Amino acid sequence: MLEAKCITRRFGRTLALDGVNFSARVGEIQALLGENGAGKTTLMKVLTGGVRPDAGAVELDGSPLPLGSPDAALRAGIAAVHQSPMLFERFSWEENLALGGFGRDGGGFGLQQIDLHAVVAKARALTHHLGFELPPPGAIIADRSVAERVRLEVLRALSFDPRVLILDEPTGVLAPNELTAFLDLLRRLRGEGRMVVLITHKLAEARAVADRITVLRGGRLVAETTPAESDESELARLMIGKVTIPPEQQVAPLANPATLLEIENLTYRSAGVTILDGISLRLGAGEIAGVAGVDGNGQAELVEVLAGARKATSGWFGVRGSDGSSMAVIPQDRDLDGLILEMALWENFLLPQPLRERMTRRGWLDVARAMELCRAALGAFRIRAAGPEALASSLSGGNRQRLEVARALTQNPRVIVAHNVTRGLDLVATADVHRTLLEFAADGGAVLLISSDLDELLAIASRLLVISRGKIHPTEPEDRSPERLGLLMAGRWSE
Amino acid sequence: MLARLAKPAGAIALAIALIALVLLALGASPAGVFIALWQGAFGNWIAFTDSLVKATPLVFTGLAISVAFSAALWNIGADGQLVIGAIAAGAVGPFLGGWPRPLALTIVLIAGAIGGAWWSAICGWLRARRDTNEVISTIMLNFVAVQILSWTVHGPLMEASHAYPQSMRIAPSAEMYMFMPPTRLNLGMILALVLAIAMYLLLFRGEVGFQLRAMGINRRAANFFRIPIASLTIWTMALSGALAGIGGAVQVSAINHRLYEKISPGWGFEAIAVALVARLNPLGIVVAAIFFGALDNGSQAMQRAEGVSPVLVQVIQAVVILILLAFDTSAWGNIREVFSRAPVAATSIEGADA
Amino acid sequence: MLEAFLISTIAMATPILLAALGELLVEESGIINVGIEGAMLAGAFFALSGVYFTGSIAVGLTCGIAAATAINAMLGVLLINLAVNQVVAGTALNIFAAGITGVFYRKFFGITGKAFIVSPLHALAIGPLARIPFFGPMLFDQSPLVYLAFLLVPVFAWLIRRTRYGLRVRAAGERPEAADALGLGVYALRWQALIVSGVLSGLAGAFLTLAYANTFVENISAGRGFVALAVVILGQRNSWGLAAASLLFGAAMALQFGLQALGTAVPYQLFLALPYALTLIVLAFFGGQARDPSALGIPYIRN
Repeated sequence: MLEAKCITRRFGRTLALDGVNFSARVGEIQALLGENGAGKTTLMKVLTGGVRPDAGAVELDGSPLPLGSPDAALRAGIAAVHQSPMLFERFSWEENLALGGFGRDGGGFGLQQIDLHAVVAKARALTHHLGFELPPPGAIIADRSVAERVRLEVLRALSFDPRVLILDEPTGVLAPNELTAFLDLLRRLRGEGRMVVLITHKLAEARAVADRITVLRGGRLVAETTPAESDESELARLMIGKVTIPPEQQVAPLANPATLLEIENLTYRSAGVTILDGISLRLGAGEIAGVAGVDGNGQAELVEVLAGARKATSGWFGVRGSDGSSMAVIPQDRDLDGLILEMALWENFLLPQPLRERMTRRGWLDVARAMELCRAALGAFRIRAAGPEALASSLSGGNRQRLEVARALTQNPRVIVAHNVTRGLDLVATADVHRTLLEFAADGGAVLLISSDLDELLAIASRLLVISRGKIHPTEPEDRSPERLGLLMAGRWSE
Repeated sequence: MLARLAKPAGAIALAIALIALVLLALGASPAGVFIALWQGAFGNWIAFTDSLVKATPLVFTGLAISVAFSAALWNIGADGQLVIGAIAAGAVGPFLGGWPRPLALTIVLIAGAIGGAWWSAICGWLRARRDTNEVISTIMLNFVAVQILSWTVHGPLMEASHAYPQSMRIAPSAEMYMFMPPTRLNLGMILALVLAIAMYLLLFRGEVGFQLRAMGINRRAANFFRIPIASLTIWTMALSGALAGIGGAVQVSAINHRLYEKISPGWGFEAIAVALVARLNPLGIVVAAIFFGALDNGSQAMQRAEGVSPVLVQVIQAVVILILLAFDTSAWGNIREVFSRAPVAATSIEGADA
Repeated sequence: MLEAFLISTIAMATPILLAALGELLVEESGIINVGIEGAMLAGAFFALSGVYFTGSIAVGLTCGIAAATAINAMLGVLLINLAVNQVVAGTALNIFAAGITGVFYRKFFGITGKAFIVSPLHALAIGPLARIPFFGPMLFDQSPLVYLAFLLVPVFAWLIRRTRYGLRVRAAGERPEAADALGLGVYALRWQALIVSGVLSGLAGAFLTLAYANTFVENISAGRGFVALAVVILGQRNSWGLAAASLLFGAAMALQFGLQALGTAVPYQLFLALPYALTLIVLAFFGGQARDPSALGIPYIRN
């Protein structure tokens, strides 16, 4: 049994964990539920030694676990699959496994030769009963699909033969059919006598597979329950407390929408690989067109081409009624692409070209005007920040995303392209962003909503498309279910 | 304002303490050395003005460094760019006899700017188009520049009598206006101030400056928002080189009046210390340059008084840089400043999305 | 004539190769050490000082190694533990080393530069092999440091690409967060690489003063440390490639004297500039950063 008592951890002014007690038992799948920001990842990092708690202790089978050392945790038998990928992209899968538990016997300084054959043999032994295929010999991680990478990460965690396996939001990138196989895998691991902890914010998943559910909110343990005792709405209530979320509604499509965005045969090739394959699409006023797809099928490149950051190999796109500057693009990686964290908020408002043009006069910046514009946006969108001069890094994840949406709308665009725009946001922030997009569409704008989150798309998209291997496919109204979409996302059109 | 001064001031204080230790190891008296330094730098009017004169090339090279580093372009070649600018001035200067002085001076300065600019732009182009590491390329060009200087001084530009390894003297019309003889105060110093203000405005109030700084902090985001990374790289390096080149031209025009083998005692490297103390702010660079210029000036007196080689100032420069770097890190709980972090931070900001 | 040129080439290549091998290991772990020049310079001066004051080559080498390693250790604190900007820190250490060696040099030997000459680190002829015509002296009658440098090439090739340790080092340079999460210990791996590099830079510097020039002049390293940085890139991060690239620059440096001796009308400065210009030109064609370890140069602090 794994027991964590009274774990407390602070980061600067934020109290991430507040006296949390947590336990896991053998032969049990436990779901750790909570909003983004509730403390789940921090708790996991404490258990795996990535973060040292300010207070509290952890015991595994009665012996105390040395805290703050990943090595100690691994040796004690706690392994994890992290939320952000922790594989070495440029190495082969065998090398990745060799850096895991398979390459560790024999201790010493490590001057032995790497024996990749032994690694493969051990991997094969392990996957044999788990029922998944290994990649071809020498395959580099960067070339593998997202779902396969998740499996390899699980494999690497298992290579340590852990007593406890913690998985932090592993299913976010999986298509619906892959999800079922993954949950089966977890059940098999439970059958092997391991303790499995599944960290997630997805209620359906948790109820489907967990024996016990623990809910964290605001760094505190608020409930321990089982699927039988709590249904989804009860779990949602536990997760978000008293705040109510108004139900989302789709936009009623306009009668004869004027086309605002036209994409014609857009193709992008790089290093001999076709990443975008003749994408054509028309977006009309008042539409929210959802593009469903598993990450890695060309979405990021499409967004970059539309933003002007990458040049298409052939084809064109344009915003009707203007020269293309009326399109605001919100990229998926807000910290690396969308914002410059080390700059002030008003400076971040200068990044999009249309806004910069409004705020410069013959090459000189109108600082006062930029700050005013920023201040207005902060107020209008209720973004919690110290002021336009605050650094973007001082904002929480949810507020950063609100800032990007606010900035996009300040451009007065006719079209918004948003990629995974609510990833990592809590339910309140998510609802806010959705409501903003719905209002934008209702006012006559058009939204291209690219997302790997089917719930989001089914909730607010008026039209659904699927992107798979760089090709876009329209869908029929009867395709509007997770199972059907899952098949389409996997590229199985004919079924 | 006081808070902003605290770190550089603290760094300098700590540096002084460490230098004192080194001096003791050398068998010299720290007190004696510091007094000699002070006397040499500010002891009398001539010394004071000479400190300012010695600060001038540091302003030019400091500005060069600040412009490039703000864009995360590690231009370690300011020394070479200054030398090429000096060569350009020294090549053009002797032949401007009889020209109206303002025009001759303008030509000399422009020659210096162009010389430095293209010497640096080569490396900018290599970085933009061939992804060549600019640290190595600029350093290599430093060495080449030194050889070019040596050749011109012994060869084509050599002075008529061939007695000494130095170039022809520039024409009187190409000499910088001097103030208050016998001091060596000159118009070039005013130019340095003007350029400092101009660079400040460019970096913090100009659209190009904004793009440059954005590129320096986060190249990926800059690219996403269609900031032209490639051309901005080349132009930034060119501007950086031009500033250093003008510095070289001013030296020739105002002080040396001809070329010698070793024109720069390492201003291009000292400028890195200057730029860091000033936190890459062009206005701060003027102040920092005066500090380091005074140090350079006082070092001669230090040698006479305590027998410590003037080369010690290099140790002081280095210690100041190292301490400032150490102060600026998040390990000390401070906000990570622009030069203790690469453009795209790989570390996660914990707690934000637990 | 050609023979002398080739002997010289191999000798000139040695300090560059030693420094470059150390830098290769350091860069594979994710750090870029611009301060090799300073470490080499410190190694050169203190090695010579050690021999001058004690007459013992062993003491000299030890002093040289210690000095260079001390420089690297200072860098280690800044780059690894404090995660500062690597280029600026390295440059600062170069200035520091130039200053310290200059100050102590003038203290011990005055500006007159009186006889700071020592008996050289003799070439070690390997018996009968050295007598093979043409190839003998070039390959088998060189200073022991030369043999060491070239013997280390296969050692490093094996270490980095074939051992578990090498895989761990590369993991630290590829994705330090993941490496730490696996308990590999990124800080320790990087420190180890810096120390090894310090030893090699010290030997490289010692070679310059003990086996090549037999004296010290200020800035005797003359940019070889930076050439070593370029060699790592040009050698495609492969030990054998490094050896080849080092020989190329060794040749360029040897050419300086060869062509000067020919007494052509071409100015001697051209030859002095040749190695640096050549480095730049070759770098322009072959020096992309695409093969760099993914985390190279990015300051990293573990959580």
